[in-house]
Amino acid sequence: MLQFKLVLLGDSSVGKSSIVHRFVKDTFDELRESTIGAAFLSQSIKIKDPNSEEDVVIKFEIWDTAGQERYKSLAPMYYRNANAALVVYDVTEADSLVKAQAWVNELKQKVGDENLVIHLVGNKVDLVEEEPSKRVITVEEATKYAADENLLFKEVSAKTGLNIKEVFQTIGEKLYEIKQVELAKNPGNGNGINGDQVNINLPRPSTNDSTSCCS
Amino acid sequence: MLSPERRPSMVERRPSFFSFQQPTPLIVPHLAGIEDPLPETTPEKVDVLIVGTGMVESVLAAALSWQGSNVLHVDSNDYYGDSSATLTVEQIKRWVSQINDNQIPCYKNAKLYVSNDIGPNGKYQSRTFGIDLSPKIMFAKSDLLSILVKSRVYQYLEFQALSTFHTFENDSFEKLQNSRQEIFTNDTLPLMTKRNLMKFIKFVLDWEQQPEIWEPYKDKSLAEFLVDKFKLDKPQVFELIFSIGLCYNIDTKVPESLQRIRRYLISFDVYGPFPVLYSKYGGAGEISQGFCRSAAVAGATYKLNEKLVTYNPETKIATFEDGSKVEVEEKVVMSPSQAPEYSYNMPEQKYEVHRLTCIVEKNCSEWFNNSESAAVIVFPPNSLKSGNKEVVQAIIIGSGSECCPDGTCIWYLSTTQQGPRAEMDLDAALEAMEISIIRESSTKIPEDDNLVQVTQDGHSIVNSFKLGQSFKEYVTREKVQLLAKLYYTQLTNTPPFNVVNPALFDHSQEQINKFIPNASDNGVIYTAMPSGEISYDEVVTAAKVIYEKIVGSDDDFFDVDFEDEDPMAMGNDGTAPTYDENAIEDDDEDEDVDMNRDDDNNEFVGKMEI
Repeated sequence: MLQFKLVLLGDSSVGKSSIVHRFVKDTFDELRESTIGAAFLSQSIKIKDPNSEEDVVIKFEIWDTAGQERYKSLAPMYYRNANAALVVYDVTEADSLVKAQAWVNELKQKVGDENLVIHLVGNKVDLVEEEPSKRVITVEEATKYAADENLLFKEVSAKTGLNIKEVFQTIGEKLYEIKQVELAKNPGNGNGINGDQVNINLPRPSTNDSTSCCS
Repeated sequence: MLSPERRPSMVERRPSFFSFQQPTPLIVPHLAGIEDPLPETTPEKVDVLIVGTGMVESVLAAALSWQGSNVLHVDSNDYYGDSSATLTVEQIKRWVSQINDNQIPCYKNAKLYVSNDIGPNGKYQSRTFGIDLSPKIMFAKSDLLSILVKSRVYQYLEFQALSTFHTFENDSFEKLQNSRQEIFTNDTLPLMTKRNLMKFIKFVLDWEQQPEIWEPYKDKSLAEFLVDKFKLDKPQVFELIFSIGLCYNIDTKVPESLQRIRRYLISFDVYGPFPVLYSKYGGAGEISQGFCRSAAVAGATYKLNEKLVTYNPETKIATFEDGSKVEVEEKVVMSPSQAPEYSYNMPEQKYEVHRLTCIVEKNCSEWFNNSESAAVIVFPPNSLKSGNKEVVQAIIIGSGSECCPDGTCIWYLSTTQQGPRAEMDLDAALEAMEISIIRESSTKIPEDDNLVQVTQDGHSIVNSFKLGQSFKEYVTREKVQLLAKLYYTQLTNTPPFNVVNPALFDHSQEQINKFIPNASDNGVIYTAMPSGEISYDEVVTAAKVIYEKIVGSDDDFFDVDFEDEDPMAMGNDGTAPTYDENAIEDDDEDEDVDMNRDDDNNEFVGKMEI
């Protein structure tokens, strides 16, 4: 199973968390106890390997801003080793696309990885469907910006679930494609984690494990 | 719902609480980022204002947030970590000039050299370095580690092992014989010494229960106790006090030293054959970011670049430099390093911690164990040219930690020596390290038939080892390339000993009761600056003392019970792990720590009648 870190960005109240909850729990609003306290949310999807046609499971580790974006107080830890980013704006909020663009610049500066997959998302299209006059950011405007910056782009609704799964599916496929290219370049470098450095799993002390054999 | 045993949290104690009983779990506070829309302005009213995002303040912020307090956590810097920060080289440059402009209280005498090799036109980029202002190591069995697990903050971090402890003696480094196996198999130790050493180790694991043995010595130094009671010789005594106990001088008293030696021994083999861990990408800076994120998830509001100017305990209004104000219902907690002008209530910061941090252009793998990227080097008293009275300790962090690029290494030297001689001791230790790493790395020149080797850029280097030249001569010609050298003195009111004692941190009561006219910090509770202690031992103790002052008791300190399954603790096959959490939370249950699971040496155990 391949695992990728995905971070959410965008201004407060554009609906970042709602998108994730729609994707992870397939719910909108309410009853979120089971996610409370989780360091981040995770959700797996299946994609098809374009060559072998076999199913591949991709797991997203999704980091929410936890409100730390409000005063531009996101920690370096948040961006570190991110493979993908979902940058969200609100199609009914005039300056939210401008702010999303600032987040894209911030991302490119903070994440050194040129393989970072950035998906721009215009949320709350449900409001526009109810009341077309609410739209202040056109599809054309956002599409053009996304094309210029080489971003993926889609309009979604966390409330109705429109295009939510598709967005993550697209990101997953893109990440898989990049991974395949990377593997072809340096085979044997499993999950992109470098060298022989061993990370320690803190909740798993070895003392209690009488079956472990340390030489 | 409320269980009868649990003391109500502050939220529950508020009168408004019982007027709307909610069916949701009470321990769960408002979730920022998930509840939306979020307020765009600074909250008008909070329970607790915490100023500074260092280790103690961050642990406290997370503990209070999960307990249900409404926390506003600010920092006057544009980065997280404050006195515990992990900074890039560019940030260090700025930090040093701020200290020298007297803009950062509790630091002085900062000096910095940075080579042109680091920078936009150099070989290395500033941002590829993460330099800790308070470098620390974490024992595998420690209160901080169990809180990292309990709070799930560990999920934001990555940890690596550190098993190598070198002691500098007679001008060379001795690797610590730290496992029972190594003691047994060490041919240089006489049988009698091994026996005495094992007797002591058995005692120290359970020392608190045997006051009859140590109490007569409680005001004496450990050295005296070890020689008198356990008939140990100087090399073992030094090793126990300085490498295993990581004590700061030869006079360290018996109970405190025993606690420190035990700390090392019980940490050994908890996660594997090493006693200590460190976090990747930076130490305290990373861990404090993790706790801040946890606090944010629990509803705390974060604001960097926010400097407190004054707090008025009568109106309960805190005023910031940008003019914004907040009403603080309960308490203001502040790090001395963020103290505003006219902070007349700040406790005297009377202890100095001297630090010398170097980035060297060598990977220093000679000092690391296989697959590790860090080591500790201890210079006992009187082992240096400077005739040092206090220990100099060095934490070596290599590129495997991702704190520095390949081919470089960060050396963190520190001493609790007070006054100007500290700098001389640090320089002497640096020199000893430079000589040692050159000597050790040059002996690694392959012993093949080529007396002359040609380097990649075409220069020929003569293998001096083969030519029979003395190392000393060889040493004088090669130099360790220092990419950066940073010296500074940090002040603290925490002495570098006994930091697990809560009484050390309990000096805020007198402050609260004091009211000094024109002071900007009346009613503020000050946290403690990091001490010279090499481990994180003081952090949880210090945070708990303040937590208790605010909440009334520390019973529910991180008493969080996450109901969801923990994805990180799941095995790859999706099954839950079978670990016993008590194993790392409760020291007392695990007295019988097996320091060596290699049964091959059982023959010795039999003979030694332990």
